[in-house]
Amino acid sequence: MFKRNSQNDEHLDRAGKLVLRTAAGDDQEIEKAVESPFLFARVRARIAEQLRENESGGWQSLPLIAWRAIPAMALVASITGGLMLWSGRSAGAPGVANAPVGFGVYEEALADSNDPGVEQTVLSRNNLSHDDVLDIVIERGAVENKK
Amino acid sequence: MYPATEPTDDALVAAAAAGDESAFEALFNRHRRQVARIAGRFFAQREQIEEIIQDAFTKLYFALHTYHGTHEASFKAWLAQITVNACYDQLRRVRRRSEQTLSEFTESETQDFSSQLRVAGSDVETALISRDLALKLLTRLSAEDRVVLTLLDVEGFSVAEIAEMTNWSISKVKVRAHRARAHLRRILRKFV
Repeated sequence: MFKRNSQNDEHLDRAGKLVLRTAAGDDQEIEKAVESPFLFARVRARIAEQLRENESGGWQSLPLIAWRAIPAMALVASITGGLMLWSGRSAGAPGVANAPVGFGVYEEALADSNDPGVEQTVLSRNNLSHDDVLDIVIERGAVENKK
Repeated sequence: MYPATEPTDDALVAAAAAGDESAFEALFNRHRRQVARIAGRFFAQREQIEEIIQDAFTKLYFALHTYHGTHEASFKAWLAQITVNACYDQLRRVRRRSEQTLSEFTESETQDFSSQLRVAGSDVETALISRDLALKLLTRLSAEDRVVLTLLDVEGFSVAEIAEMTNWSISKVKVRAHRARAHLRRILRKFV
């Protein structure tokens, strides 16, 4: 059965090659194309046309870009507006603002909905004042300078 | 090889890239037949072959500054790569168009091809099929399948050569060839 299948496949492969060869151009057509008059002139014309397109593409394509960009920007703006409204409502909801999000940081700090933000949250968790932080920075600078 | 007085391909490319139009024309005259031969493996009509010649040399012109050849064979290989890509692009365009316009096989086409394949038996190479039918059959193949099967089975290029021409990896050429053959068999099985 397998032998029969493989014979059948070989037969089909040979038929496939025949189809591919038949679809190809013959030598006469190829030669006619090669000897076609003004072929190089047409190549030059095509190059010139493409060069023109490349040069004019700078400012002529601007309206087209704007035409495409305006709806995209409007969509992005509306999505941003929607997200802002949604996040504003979520922040206002009771119990959500102070939900822990991991690493000892709270939703409130990340969202920066109140004045202190992340900085204050970190400072208060380590019982450090602004002066303590300044001392640490100065000490570290002095140690590095000694090195 | 060219006579000692003739500039090499590399020299012509360098001159053409520097803006020497006669150097580009010399490259065109020297290699247009090679481009036409490659195009002729994929397209039967003179106009289509001319279109590929124009497309390939236009692409070549804009890519001149990217060529860093060191010996004669490399320019030909590079041009072959550009031409195969031009053929591939054109096959994709043709396929897109023919998807909308191509009708199914007629009853007589189906019967003729079936009987040809049966009569020819194991000596299927002697079967005669019309070019129209062959083209209709091949529009059912993707451009990638058509390129890889033509280069491998008709032109007899090696997998490595095809990989270089198409800029595909060797494994991609192998996989694509395997799938393309299986696809063509499925198409032809309906006639046997």
